[in-house]
Amino acid sequence: MAVCVAVIGKDNSPLYIGGIGNDTSSDNELSRQWLVHTALDALEERLTTANPNNSGTNTTTARTDLRDLYLGLLFSTDTHKIYGYVTNTRIKLVLVTSSTSPSGSNIRDAEVRTALRRLHALYADAICNPFHLPGDQITSPKFDKQVKNIMLNNV
Amino acid sequence: MRSSVSYILSHAPGESVMSHPDYGQHAQHHACLLVLVKGIGGMLKNFNKLWERIQRINTIKVTDSAGQVRDIWVRYVRDYPVENNDWGDFQTHRRLLGLITLSKFTNQVELNEVCRVHESLKVKYSNTLYDSRAFMFGPISNMKKPEQEPETYSIFEGEKTIKQECNISEKASIPSEHMDSLSSSESFPRSTSSTTSYTQEENFTTPSNFKTHAMFYGENDPVPDLEQNVADLINSLFWVVESKRLERSREKLEKVSLLLAPFEKKDFVGLDMESRNNKKRCMGRVTTNLADLTLQAGLVADSLNLYHSAAEILKSVNDWLWLAAAKEGLCASSAILLYPNLRNSTPLQRNASLQESSPSKSKPLSLFQPTDPFRKFKLNSSPLRNSKTSSPINPPSELTPTSSESIDTSSRQSETDNGDTESLASSSDIEYQSPKSYLSTELPSIPRQPPSQITNQYLLNGEEIAEKYRKAIIHYSKYQNAGIIETEACFKAARIAVEQNNSLHASSFLQNVIFINLTLSEQEKIQRFDTLAELYKDIGFLRKAAFCQRLAATRQVSPNNPNPDWQRCYYLMLHSFPGHKLSLDPNYVVQHQVGWPALQIQLLQELVVAARRMGHPALATRHMTFLLQTMWPHLTKQEHRDLAIQLQALSAQCEGGPVPLVLETGEVIPPANLSHVPNCSWFTPRPLPPARAPHLVKSKAHHGPFIFTPIHFGSLERNAKKQEGKMEYLWVEGDICEVQMKLTNPLPFELKVSNMRLLTSGVVFESIPETIILPPDSPTTVNLHGTPKEIGELQILGYSTHTLGVKSNCRLKNMPMPNKFPASFTVEVIPSLPTIAIETTVTPSGNGGLSTETVGSTTNVTLYNGESTDCTIKITNTNSVPIEYLDLAIQSNIDTALQSKIFQFSNEDIQSQLPIAPDQTATITIKLYGEADFLDLGGVGGENLFPNSLTSNYPSRVGSPVPNAQTSLPTQSSNPQNSLSSGLMPHRTSGSFRSTNSYATSWSAPISVMPPSRGRQIESQLILRYSGGEGKDVHCRQSTLQINLELLPSVSITHWDVLPAEIASQLYLVLDVTNLTSEEMDFHYAPNKHILIESKESCRVPVPLDRCPFSNTNVKSDDDTTDSKSISTGTSTNSLELMCSEHITNNTDLRWNLVHSDISGRASVKGITLSQTMMDIVRMSPLNWEVSINSQCIKPQEEFNCTAGECLSLGVAVWNHLSRPLHKLCLSVQFYQDYNNGVFSYKLDNRVATAGNNKVVLTTLRESAKAYHECTVVFLTPGEYKIDIQCSTTEPILEDSTVLKEPEQPSIIQPCASEISHVWRFIPPVAISVID
Repeated sequence: MAVCVAVIGKDNSPLYIGGIGNDTSSDNELSRQWLVHTALDALEERLTTANPNNSGTNTTTARTDLRDLYLGLLFSTDTHKIYGYVTNTRIKLVLVTSSTSPSGSNIRDAEVRTALRRLHALYADAICNPFHLPGDQITSPKFDKQVKNIMLNNV
Repeated sequence: MRSSVSYILSHAPGESVMSHPDYGQHAQHHACLLVLVKGIGGMLKNFNKLWERIQRINTIKVTDSAGQVRDIWVRYVRDYPVENNDWGDFQTHRRLLGLITLSKFTNQVELNEVCRVHESLKVKYSNTLYDSRAFMFGPISNMKKPEQEPETYSIFEGEKTIKQECNISEKASIPSEHMDSLSSSESFPRSTSSTTSYTQEENFTTPSNFKTHAMFYGENDPVPDLEQNVADLINSLFWVVESKRLERSREKLEKVSLLLAPFEKKDFVGLDMESRNNKKRCMGRVTTNLADLTLQAGLVADSLNLYHSAAEILKSVNDWLWLAAAKEGLCASSAILLYPNLRNSTPLQRNASLQESSPSKSKPLSLFQPTDPFRKFKLNSSPLRNSKTSSPINPPSELTPTSSESIDTSSRQSETDNGDTESLASSSDIEYQSPKSYLSTELPSIPRQPPSQITNQYLLNGEEIAEKYRKAIIHYSKYQNAGIIETEACFKAARIAVEQNNSLHASSFLQNVIFINLTLSEQEKIQRFDTLAELYKDIGFLRKAAFCQRLAATRQVSPNNPNPDWQRCYYLMLHSFPGHKLSLDPNYVVQHQVGWPALQIQLLQELVVAARRMGHPALATRHMTFLLQTMWPHLTKQEHRDLAIQLQALSAQCEGGPVPLVLETGEVIPPANLSHVPNCSWFTPRPLPPARAPHLVKSKAHHGPFIFTPIHFGSLERNAKKQEGKMEYLWVEGDICEVQMKLTNPLPFELKVSNMRLLTSGVVFESIPETIILPPDSPTTVNLHGTPKEIGELQILGYSTHTLGVKSNCRLKNMPMPNKFPASFTVEVIPSLPTIAIETTVTPSGNGGLSTETVGSTTNVTLYNGESTDCTIKITNTNSVPIEYLDLAIQSNIDTALQSKIFQFSNEDIQSQLPIAPDQTATITIKLYGEADFLDLGGVGGENLFPNSLTSNYPSRVGSPVPNAQTSLPTQSSNPQNSLSSGLMPHRTSGSFRSTNSYATSWSAPISVMPPSRGRQIESQLILRYSGGEGKDVHCRQSTLQINLELLPSVSITHWDVLPAEIASQLYLVLDVTNLTSEEMDFHYAPNKHILIESKESCRVPVPLDRCPFSNTNVKSDDDTTDSKSISTGTSTNSLELMCSEHITNNTDLRWNLVHSDISGRASVKGITLSQTMMDIVRMSPLNWEVSINSQCIKPQEEFNCTAGECLSLGVAVWNHLSRPLHKLCLSVQFYQDYNNGVFSYKLDNRVATAGNNKVVLTTLRESAKAYHECTVVFLTPGEYKIDIQCSTTEPILEDSTVLKEPEQPSIIQPCASEISHVWRFIPPVAISVID
């Protein structure tokens, strides 16, 4: 059960944070932000550790581009799991799922992966808007709606 | 990481659950001897210093029985829970082995108490304690302790033997000792007897049961042998450990007893202890124990071996807990070998120079650090990082640690060993060593130990350590009771990962900590978060660290916490600033705008609450101001309002000021200034008002012909222009100056901003505080004033406000983004200049007819043309600087010549009044005269209307109106010319100037038709430039006085003519004067002659005038005439006309007086134009006649009577008034009869007989000479006769003088026009009536 989706810019500024405030009061906007914010450390670390290995030799530079955008589980808490995804332009997509899904089954990695890919596509659509300035917060209601859809249906 | 089969083997919370996690543990502490350092008794002043000194002795070298030197490491703790001691069997480094007390006493009682506490501490840890030391600090007097020394020493000796015993008997004797000490602690006085020679005050004795090696010092003694004593203790501890190790190693593996972790005791009840499985279990556990001891005893390499074999054994029996312990031990010893600086850095943490060499300990994060500390951290990472990255390249077959890593280690190792030996040499040595040889140097602590392959084959490399630790933690996690061990293991693993610079590993270990379910006290939970934060910080996970810190902070004050500590909560939150990308400096935050605003706002709000609850309202106000200032763009309107109200409430307790606050920790909270409330959208210094603005005394010379050019030549000039914020105008010292700003109140309620001032630097500036109340959301213009007190450059940096209870210094350079201001405005301040007050009075010449109005600096004056008045200007110096320079200039819309006639003032008079002292007054009088052209040429042509003709420029007047006048004048003058030849003669009657004849011909147009003159408006500015004081040579002030002068028409001369008067030397100027005023006018045209003219009426007045004196004018116009000799006659005529016109103008004195309003003025005929004929009349004749009959002089208009036949003698005398002689002058006398009908009869042959020539030719008549001719005439018949006497010259006329005609000669007869060019006649002709 996805609870929150965040789009974070190159400079680690929040571009979009959307969540479904479904149950408890702790699920409010602020706690979501805390979660995503603290995930940034791990995310950045992964990016920096991924880079020297790749750029160490010239032959592996090509691999950098083909690197999997999906970063996997960043960290987990008692209640949430946080997954990361980085586009080639260093836009970070973060998906927060609750650790205990109501159905009892755990969320599979592949599901998260596809969800994040779809999210990437949605993001790409959203910034295709000629009136959107890169680096600005995403305010598109359509994007918001679609993201919420993903969160509700997919995962 | 956690085992999925978690808690399978866990048991119900046992009796001795280790419940006090030690978050500070490192992996290297496995190899340390644990020593408790405790201060007892009174508080020692230098306890911390001593504690540091003790800590520094973290390792000593001991030569063992085999002659090998071993490094023994010690860990000192300040406090150690006894429960943890119980785990000593499980991991021997958890045993407390030594005790050091630092105590203070002042008298015997206290000493006894101190001794008692020391002993009881010994009892407390009696299970594990091997040795103790007591450092006693007494009053300074009993420093020398001659007697006690041997005594205590003997005790020590005794204790030592006891200890040896107890070592052998292993703790068995200690309980007895403990009993002993307990019982004897009450019976201390016994020992006093032993010290007999000293009094009680001077000598203290320890109780007899105090069996510790005690050292006595004065309280302020330097304690030189502290290190030695501590080393002594460690030495003794080592030997115990070593003996234990040996003992353990000699044990027969088959017979060993089962070692138990505290909670395991129940589990093995009833189990078959003799089973093979259990035997193995025992063996494994004992081996682990032995490995622990070996590690502690300094034989790290051996311990590796042992740990490995222990792990093998334990693995086979599935003893997971102990397996985990063995693995952890393996990891720890590997880590100790791999990362020796892990050991070094920790105790020497306080040494700043070494701090940099240990990258794992990143500097305490500065809150002001502008750059991302995370990146920085990465940059100066340790060489290990390089080695780590390069390690995968090395062949994996290599058993030993890979090259670079081990070189690093060994070189470091050798450094630590040899102390001062050249590290360069050793490292270069190592470089050329074979892998085998440097393996020996790798373990320098046991140099003579043969390098064994076996030892090193168990040495784990970096990756393996992490892996093994991971496994160990998983094993631990299977036991609920081992939660603390697991937690500690996690931290230890994380620290190793930090050392390896593997942040992800570290974070995963740390992450695991969260999942360990422990029943901890609130304080310990906080500590856990704190340690987590610390480690997260170390790996650069600042956000994570901040998150943990915030959690810790909230825990501090959570309702579950029995004793909330707001202060610590506050500091935790404050230290989480870097993680939130916040800086304490608001300007930095405003400029960079990084981080997540929502979180920052939340944090700041919590911080405000914490600061308030902490009881530091100043901080709360500061942080709230900070919040409002930095997060302004991210807050909603409602939030703005709420926060502003909150701020107001906070500042009511403690006003916020723009000063840095210093916290107890030494951190400085820089001031936060509210520049959003109110928001300033416009800020600019204003030039002084024009009246006070300084001007340059000498205006700058212009460089080019252009007033403005966009092209700037020369780069220098261009650079000078670039200076931003440099004002082009000047401010004056001691003068009130102004800065204009536009403020907006963004809050929805009325905002009071008080004490607004300007912030300046440079010269001293006195700012005048201003208080304003701003309505919501409407821009208000505010002027701030101040006075510069010095000369020089003044920089205006911003303004200060006091609003919402917060004082702010809003500097322009820190202004929020949308408004771009220069960093400062620079204004030059010049020395003070005087100021003046001007008062203008106009003395009215009449009553009511003239109106004077002074509106501000504008004076309105109404004058009739020709009227004059005085305008008095009073200048008062209102400043303290004397006026030393004063200059008056007039600017107006009229040309300068006319202007100087209208405004007349004396410059000398002004200068004579200088200087004007402060508060003194000077008076300047300006005479105003209604200069005008009274001649109304209206009807002649448009160009001659008044506005043009008022110009007194004569040449232009001659130039333009005269050609017209020549067309018009003939109508005036040719008529009389014609009429004179025929009709003027008969009207000889005196005073018949108004003869209809002349009237009709000369003034053809009716006067009433003439357009009346209009009033004129003259706008003029009186410019007063004044200066004084220091800068009078450069700058001055300028005051402008506006004088609006309205000139009303008074009289107008519409037509004029000249008539010869009765006397030859005089003439009449006949003027048509029109009264253009609305009042009756008394017009004076000659002395004693005046006429009353009704309003709008016109009158003709004759003005008697002397003729233009010939010689006089000749002399006067000599220059003109000589000049114009060669010029055409026309020009010379004009110059003559000018002469005549001037003569007339100067000699007429026309004055008028308005009867009703008693206003008087003058009029003039300036610029009068004269025709040729008129000029002849005006001019005096060049020849003067004297005609006499019978020697009787004939008067003009006089009739001479005689009888027929009477002989009359006619004498004619001629004077030459010309300046030159006349030649070939023909003087003729002719008789004729006038029939009075225009017919003259010259045929008088039979009526008149003459004797003598009636025509003589004078060859030369000299100037001023007189010629006389006489003839005799006899009238034969009675009748009326007339004599025409004339003089003619045949000489070619020499321009001007000869051109002059005899005005009285009607020049009808012009014989031989070529020859005789001039004829002078004696007029009127002499009339003789002859009777019988």
